[in-house]
Amino acid sequence: MSPVPSLLLIEDDDAIRTALELSLTRQGHRVATAATGEDGLKLLREQRPDLIVLDVMLPGIDGFEVCRRIRRTDQLPIILLTARSDDIDVVVGLESGADDYVVKPVQGRVLDARIRAVLRRGERESNDAASFGSLVIDRAAMTVTKNGEDLQLTPTELRLLLELSRRPGQALSRQQLLRLVWEHDYLGDSRLVDACVQRLRAKVEDVPSSPTLIRTVRGVGYRLDAPQ
Amino acid sequence: MTQAQGGFRGWFAERKGVWSRLRFTSLRLRLVVVFGLVALTAAVSASGIAYWLNREAVLTRTQDAVLRDFQQEMQSEAGVLPERPTQDELQRTAGQMANSSQRFSVLLVAENADGKTVFGSSGGLSGFMLKDVPESLREAVNEEQAVNSTNKYAYHLYWQRIVEDDTPYLVAGTKVIGGGPTGYMLKSLEPEAKDLNSLAWSLGIATGLALIGSALLAQAAATTVLKPVHRLGVAARRLGEGKLDTRLRVSGTDELADLSRTFNNAAEALEKRVADMAARDDASRRFVADMSHELRTPLTAITAVTEVLEEELEAETGSMDPMIEPAVRLVVSETRRLNDLVENLMEVTRFDAGTARLVLDDVDVADQITACIDARAWLDAVDLDAERGIHAGLDPRRLDVILANLIGNALKHGGSPVRVSVGEEGEEVVIAVRDHGPGIPEDVLPHVFDRFYKASASRPRSEGSGLGLSIALENAHIHGGEITAANSPEGGAVFTLRLPRDASTLTQEAEENKGTDEKGEA
Repeated sequence: MSPVPSLLLIEDDDAIRTALELSLTRQGHRVATAATGEDGLKLLREQRPDLIVLDVMLPGIDGFEVCRRIRRTDQLPIILLTARSDDIDVVVGLESGADDYVVKPVQGRVLDARIRAVLRRGERESNDAASFGSLVIDRAAMTVTKNGEDLQLTPTELRLLLELSRRPGQALSRQQLLRLVWEHDYLGDSRLVDACVQRLRAKVEDVPSSPTLIRTVRGVGYRLDAPQ
Repeated sequence: MTQAQGGFRGWFAERKGVWSRLRFTSLRLRLVVVFGLVALTAAVSASGIAYWLNREAVLTRTQDAVLRDFQQEMQSEAGVLPERPTQDELQRTAGQMANSSQRFSVLLVAENADGKTVFGSSGGLSGFMLKDVPESLREAVNEEQAVNSTNKYAYHLYWQRIVEDDTPYLVAGTKVIGGGPTGYMLKSLEPEAKDLNSLAWSLGIATGLALIGSALLAQAAATTVLKPVHRLGVAARRLGEGKLDTRLRVSGTDELADLSRTFNNAAEALEKRVADMAARDDASRRFVADMSHELRTPLTAITAVTEVLEEELEAETGSMDPMIEPAVRLVVSETRRLNDLVENLMEVTRFDAGTARLVLDDVDVADQITACIDARAWLDAVDLDAERGIHAGLDPRRLDVILANLIGNALKHGGSPVRVSVGEEGEEVVIAVRDHGPGIPEDVLPHVFDRFYKASASRPRSEGSGLGLSIALENAHIHGGEITAANSPEGGAVFTLRLPRDASTLTQEAEENKGTDEKGEA
């Protein structure tokens, strides 16, 4: 990871694009911009940015579709810019693989804080390993293997798994996870946790619909158990 | 106060219900009574006239026959007696007279040769006696009248009806003209009385039947009238409940059908009017939604740039032109206000369009309040009385909006210290926000949750968007909760927020989404 993180901003409105580019550049990011989803996907392949800020309402292929296409090959963090005229936007965005979202009209400082929080998730912090059944979490290499095979996890999914694995058998509430993984304040959207847990289950569980590792604790949150 | 009012209204409604039921039955009752009275009058007068005519006819016929017989017998039997007959002769004659086809008793009175009054009775000495004949009749019979052109005879036949031992009798008497015995007859009218009695009974029964029939008819008539009226009442109530497509089936051409038709026309007009108004309302709401949506795009750009300007201000004071600096500050602060306003407008349009959704999470209420106060740097001005451990399933973001608006409002209008207390009442979490200001004027109290409501036209432009309390209330409603505003008796305004401890029943969709997780567990 380069010392100055490089971002790709995909936004169709000229004014917003220019203003956000200005603001993010001043916050110390390297910013590349694209006006359409197609251009954005092309730039992604050429420049390999560390993170993507993606507007939902795009001409041509929309933000959700761009998100889904990126997730097919890449696990880099995606932050959605949503209009929140409808809460459905958020749910669809999270399901299509976004790591976080910010609501327009967005404040540059908030966006910067989210970007930095997402980027921090990929940083390693300790050197041990833990295994839960066939799942092995290597905290030194920041990799997760299942039955010896590497799993492709986004930084957010990896961080969520790390936080759960650090307290095996202990239930963590959605609000706790929002603070630990997303670094959100007390108003974090618990749907972020639910959506991420769903995606994580799809990758680490044998049968995602009947999880044995990441269990739901009703009225509390989630818990990581070693399978019996 | 409100409770007492509610109680009074409830009592009044109950009374009204009883009253309307009473009135409803009384219309029926009145119909029955009127029908009954008409039937009774008709039946009684018809029966009375019939009875009276019958009675006269029967009695006259019997009476005429008896009296004719008696007269003949008097002429043929008593007329041939000597002027001064003996007791035996009288007795025998009386017996013969009584043997006629009409069974009556006969009493003959005469003077014998010695000048003594002798009697001859058909029933023997114990039979018909002179004391059975009323005094007035005896006088009339024995009275000798002057003979002239209009009156040919000195004596006449007189009769009278008497009742003895509950048996009606016909008594008649006459005197043989030209000297002879005085004859009396007594005829029992019992058979006729029996006939008339049974007639009276049948007439009475007929009257009774007529009464019952009229009551049944009245019931039927009342039902035919009251059923449509009842249907009309039900339809009107449905209309009042907002079911504007309520229509009545119109059958027939009577006044009630006319009324039903009028009702239908009125309902149709009302429905159309309401639909028109709703369409206009929808259009204006859509306009506001579209407008706030459109405002947001340029605002996003402006906000991002404004922050750059703001940083410039903070970073190196003095680097900026002193003439420009206040202008930049104004742009920064007003942009923030515009942001809030658009944000609130969007929130309001979401509620109006019904697209607002709850994102529930299990939270500690005290923690949420502390965080809300802390995030806005209100810790010094707010006195929080809440214990940790009160958990509720609600939308933390919406709770924060409610709290921020209530506390912010209290700080702005009431002044610190603002006291926030949390309690539990049954299945509800109750959060009270109390300030120490002058309170809310009584005439403003009902409008505090209105959008853009200004207490007075002269009041200076407030710092808020004018939507805060309205949004807070909508956010409480979407949880199935409520906010009430009142003035505390110790001074200051109190806003009380009540939220159900578990709002999950309101969000079935959210439950279903989580349901897949739970299923996996089991």
